[in-house]
Amino acid sequence: MSNQFSHEKIIQLRKKRSAADRRFKTYGLIATVIGMAILFFLLFTIFSKGYSSFQKTVIELDVTFDQETLKITPNATYEEQVEAKFFKVKKNAIANALPDLSKKDIKLMKKMFSINVDKEIKEYFLQNPNILNTTQKLLVTAHSDVDQMLKGNAKRDIEEKKRKLNDRQLEFFDEFVFTGRLKSKFNNFFFTNADSRHPELAGIAGSFVGSLFTLITVFLLAFPIGIGASIYLEEFAPKNKFTELIEVNIANLAAVPSIVFGLLGLGILLNVFGFPRSTPLVGGTVLALMTLPTIIIACRASLKAVPPSIKEGALAMGASKMQAVFHHQVPLALPGTLTGTIIGLAQALGETAPLIMIGMIAFIPNIPTGFTEPSAALPVQIYLWVESAERGFQEKTAAAIMMILIFLFLMNAIAVFLRSRFERKW
Amino acid sequence: MNNVKVSTKNVNVHYGTKQALHRVTLDINEKEVTALIGPSGCGKSTFLRCINRMNDLIDICKVDGSITVDNEEIISDEVDVVSLRSKIGMVFQKPNPFPKSIFDNVAYGPTIHGIVETKTDLEEIVHSSLKRAGLLKEVKDRLHEPGTSLSGGQQQRLCIARAIAVNPDIILMDEPCSALDPIATATIEELIDELKNKYTIVIVTHSMQQAARVSQRTGFFHLGELVETGETQKIFTNPENEKTQGYITGRFG
Repeated sequence: MSNQFSHEKIIQLRKKRSAADRRFKTYGLIATVIGMAILFFLLFTIFSKGYSSFQKTVIELDVTFDQETLKITPNATYEEQVEAKFFKVKKNAIANALPDLSKKDIKLMKKMFSINVDKEIKEYFLQNPNILNTTQKLLVTAHSDVDQMLKGNAKRDIEEKKRKLNDRQLEFFDEFVFTGRLKSKFNNFFFTNADSRHPELAGIAGSFVGSLFTLITVFLLAFPIGIGASIYLEEFAPKNKFTELIEVNIANLAAVPSIVFGLLGLGILLNVFGFPRSTPLVGGTVLALMTLPTIIIACRASLKAVPPSIKEGALAMGASKMQAVFHHQVPLALPGTLTGTIIGLAQALGETAPLIMIGMIAFIPNIPTGFTEPSAALPVQIYLWVESAERGFQEKTAAAIMMILIFLFLMNAIAVFLRSRFERKW
Repeated sequence: MNNVKVSTKNVNVHYGTKQALHRVTLDINEKEVTALIGPSGCGKSTFLRCINRMNDLIDICKVDGSITVDNEEIISDEVDVVSLRSKIGMVFQKPNPFPKSIFDNVAYGPTIHGIVETKTDLEEIVHSSLKRAGLLKEVKDRLHEPGTSLSGGQQQRLCIARAIAVNPDIILMDEPCSALDPIATATIEELIDELKNKYTIVIVTHSMQQAARVSQRTGFFHLGELVETGETQKIFTNPENEKTQGYITGRFG
């Protein structure tokens, strides 16, 4: 057989090959479009459900600060003012929110205002003490039920029993809307408050700070340990069966379900070592254990990627092993390590199961100020709110998801920034 | 006749079960250029890397036999390889400047050995090393640019400057010109010629012309054995061994 072939045959076959190229390109394009569509759908759903929680509903209320009701004199000290009877002022204001309210009506009317109104009246007065014996128009926070009705999240054309606001309250509601006393305002509570039983007062500040403390703990524990372990395993450890076993197990550890780490935290950290329950310290320690394998794998991969010629050059100059590693390998491996670390931290940020195990699911109504204070975390907060029956928490859930996504986005931005900052060509 | 600087006796190198060098016995004279030639895979680079113990980096590589540098045995666990390497510089096949500035590249050796005390001393060492490597004129205005921004030939001279900055006795060069164009090669060869007044140089090369041009003595390796060694002129004009004859006339390799 001679090696005879016709170029026409090649050209014919070439058509088939380029058709395959085009087909593959189309598949890729379709896959990308589907992926993007799903992502946009997800983001759109979250945003459309959550954006309304950045608004709160306020009711304009005529509040009369007369000195008899408040039981203070015009020249009262600050301490006396703080102790003044603001709840009575509130009671009167609500009783006169609309003209001619019966006793029963007043009871119903009271339920249309947030429990926080006393405090709002008090704060307003303490800031402007010279309003004593005058009547002021104050915008006070409405109850979540009113808020949801105004936002259109609650249905009004259903049976009275199934509604949060009964028929009489709806009449009040319509009257407020008609007279323009019901207004929407930026919901500062969502950003400054911790969790609350009252949806109109619940905020993410507590869980945000809790997550921040937790992540700081994770970083401080996992980053140095991870880098140390990677450098040792990659550069110094003898290559034998034992180190091979360690290597395999690090890879295995990365695949262990996170709840197992939570059980470890519960069994060892809380019960044996007596760490304080529900705190960022425990949560961070548990998540650090979970993040370690990710960091070690990333760091070792980037150490491996450093060209051996650099290390050889340093060693041939008479650098000691440690000098060669720390002067040349580590700086070059740093961008990759940082990226891996931030991926690990992002994972830790979104982790819920282990935190539930160590008690970070507790209802914590205040913002933590330290690592050993009970606190919530963003993903657990989402879990808590999504479980709540009140309709007002639904939009909070979506908004909290938005916050966690923004947090993640910021972390990734930092990763990109650090990578471009430290990246060097060789 | 110069003094013997490096002396090897019956050096065997194994990579795992494969023997790469067979009983190599070779003397390298002080302040001379010794060229090692031979076809690819003949073990000349392996031999070179025995002299500064770079083969230690390869786990499966075992070296036995005897190598003395200044009459001191270096194939022994008690030898401190860090101090050994501080007196034996090495230039690699592919220029490998550190991803640092030109200045820092040259300053690296003196800094890690802690031999300089003041900044002015360091600057002086960097300048004189760059000057001896024939690079100062080209880079003196951009000492703080990265070493990797230089051309290939300049990078290789930077690596030579880096090696001589710690004032070694011996410079090992592993095919230093194989990645360079003819002009850069000529510059490096001139430099080698100059450096031999001060240093003992061992150069591995693929180019027989280069060996003939720069070296005083030549060793011919074939299949892990040192086939013939002698004065360069003699090796290239009147080799004793048939294989050497075949290689230099281009019949194989």
